[in-house]
Amino acid sequence: MDSVLRAGAMYVALMVLFKIAGRRSLAELTTFDFILLLMIGEATQQALLGDDFSLTNSVIVIVTLVAIDVGLSLLKQRSRWISRLIDGEPTIIVENGKLLHERLRRARLLEADVMEAARSSQGIEKLEEIKFAILERNGKISVIARDD
Amino acid sequence: MNEDSDNADLRSREHPIREDMTYQLKVWRFERVGWYVLVLVLLMGLMGVFSRGLLSSRDVRSEDGKVRVEYEIFHRNGSTNSMKITLYSAPDSQVELELAGQLLEGFSIETLQPEPLRSRSSSQGIRLWLQTDLDGQATLYITLRGDGLGFYRSQVSSPGTNGIKLVQFIFP
Repeated sequence: MDSVLRAGAMYVALMVLFKIAGRRSLAELTTFDFILLLMIGEATQQALLGDDFSLTNSVIVIVTLVAIDVGLSLLKQRSRWISRLIDGEPTIIVENGKLLHERLRRARLLEADVMEAARSSQGIEKLEEIKFAILERNGKISVIARDD
Repeated sequence: MNEDSDNADLRSREHPIREDMTYQLKVWRFERVGWYVLVLVLLMGLMGVFSRGLLSSRDVRSEDGKVRVEYEIFHRNGSTNSMKITLYSAPDSQVELELAGQLLEGFSIETLQPEPLRSRSSSQGIRLWLQTDLDGQATLYITLRGDGLGFYRSQVSSPGTNGIKLVQFIFP
């Protein structure tokens, strides 16, 4: 019983933590982000398994995590409200070559982040060449170039 | 003017995606408040609210000064902490110590040093007999592992003295 509770509690705790961290946190993995992710995994592992390293326990934990995940995706399909709560919504951050500064500030983004995405996805050099830049739900920035 | 452009920035757009900025602003506010909560948890951790720190370590004496207990208020399930009990009595004599209450329900005693001269169960817990040194002092070091969850109230006493009441909390 406690394995299921542990896994459930950990799932919820991590979900809330990463909601607080925001969608950008682990979207563009730098080398250090990757290491951070490994450390978080390492810290989680003990709490998930406790002192029971049996095959049964680890299978129960994995089954619980996958079941919650699938359950949530089913819920998301049924309810737009839940889908929005869990995944969030995309946000426009550049409109017709102009940065929406207030949005960038609140999303904790820099112009450099936008330009990096513009360069890597569209080969765009200048802000004016961007028609729209959108901060997607998964934290990636997608860029739509101007036509001319 | 600045405020106007801020407001324009935060208005919902319909193209190329349909936005709901009211909701997005709530999300950003949640992230901001969440960050404060994280910092608060971090500070609480440093202060010892989650065991081992200023707020958790206690050093108490009974009113007559004959029993002294150094212990942690906050424990975590599965982790070990030490407890030090000191009794003051006649030099080079045997002194009785009673651990009673919920201590043994919430914790398992991993080590008990030095080994007591005798021990037996009593109606409320366990009784141990210790040998005092030439200064009339007997010290018992206990390693406790938190097994339960929540509050545990217990008493540490010795016959003829006021005991000490302990309240300890075990985190999941």
